[in-house]
Parts: sequence; C-alpha cells; structure tokens
Amino acid sequence: MLLFRSEGDVDRWCERRGRARGAVLSLDQTWALARAWYHDRLDPSFRGRSAAEAVAIFRGLGLTGPFWSLSDGDG
Amino acid sequence: MADDSTDERDWAVRAAVFGHIVAHGRPPDVAETAAAMGLPDAEVAAAYDRLHGRHALFLEPGTHTVRIANPFSGVPTPYRVQVGARAYWANCAWDALGIPAALGADAAIVAALPNGDGTAALAVVGEAVRGDGEVVHLPLPFRRWYDNLVET
Repeated sequence: MLLFRSEGDVDRWCERRGRARGAVLSLDQTWALARAWYHDRLDPSFRGRSAAEAVAIFRGLGLTGPFWSLSDGDG
Repeated sequence: MADDSTDERDWAVRAAVFGHIVAHGRPPDVAETAAAMGLPDAEVAAAYDRLHGRHALFLEPGTHTVRIANPFSGVPTPYRVQVGARAYWANCAWDALGIPAALGADAAIVAALPNGDGTAALAVVGEAVRGDGEVVHLPLPFRRWYDNLVET
C-alpha cells in the first residue's frame, strides 16, 4: 500500500508496471481506517480479527463493494 | 492444536514482542523474548511459529526473525514514523498511520514515494492527519491481502 502525491501518479505507476488499479484512499480515509484497524493492536487482550469482523470495519467506514469483500460477489 | 494454556502463552509472547518493539523500535529475537518472559528459548520459538501461522506476526521464511508485526516492520522500509524520541519502520502507507493509531500518539512520518519521486511528510496531530493531498493505493483486494503480505 503505497503513498502517492496524486491519483494521476497512481495511474502512471500502474501503467508502468502493467498492473490493475486497486483502491485509492484519501489521507483522511486511510487515517480513519488505520484508527479502526489498529487502535486496539497493543492491547494485551487483542486476539486477532476475523475476516467477517474486518469486513464490518470496512463497511462502517463506507468501504464496500467487491474490493473490500471476501468474494467477488460480496459487497 | 494448542491447548488453552499454550494459546494464552502464545498471546502473551505476542504482547511481549509488541511491547519490545514499542520500547526499542525493533522486534526482539527469540532469546530476548525468552529472557524477558522467563521461558525457554525453544518454547518461545514454537510460539513464534504458531503466531506466524495465525497471522499474529510474520517471520522471515525459515527463521524466527520477526519481519512484520503490523503495523510495525522489522526491516527498513520507505515509511519512517517518528513518535516522540522513538522511530519505527512501518510496512506500508496504511501502517505508517497505523503506528500512531496503535500508540495513541502524535507522529511525524516521512515516506519515500514510488518512482523516485522524492519524499512526502505527513503528520498525525491529535485526531487529525496532515499532508498535502496525498493518496494511498491499495493494489490488491481484501481477499488477497494474505497472498503476499509484503506486496500488499
């Protein structure tokens, strides 16, 4: 998950590498995701997270659709 | 399958690994964790293996060297995160923000951009992230994140 100056830079990076463009998040979106994902990571009671719990976090942040789902048909 | 006591010990080992990273900026080796917990090296090594198997941390292939303890990286990366007097390596752009999120602390982040395009400076101050309109690209969909964690 790389940081770019702009979406145009993302497109150029993908084109040069012949890779499909994935998802692009703003800094605010990434920060919200980082907080939801990692806020409890140093808690000694942390016991991991199931895939379904991960998808619930994505949905809570408005990240839906196949990219954020467990299968192509989800979302 | 690990019994309950082994399972709880594994999670305690994980907590010790993360605590060491927070304090020292790098992951502990097996001997350091064993000494800190008063456990035999072999027991800690086995716990590292089981934690790797459940994606609770990630070892360099064929070793007990911690490569990734999300959001922290055990090796230098393009993402350097300064929190107070301590600096950490993050695995990716998301994890660079994950470190201040995990620590509940402000941070200054320097990220080397792809294509030799210089660096970007980000900051987390209180509840907000500050940058210059940068974006984060996630190349792989969620269902493939564990196919290749380094590339993800």
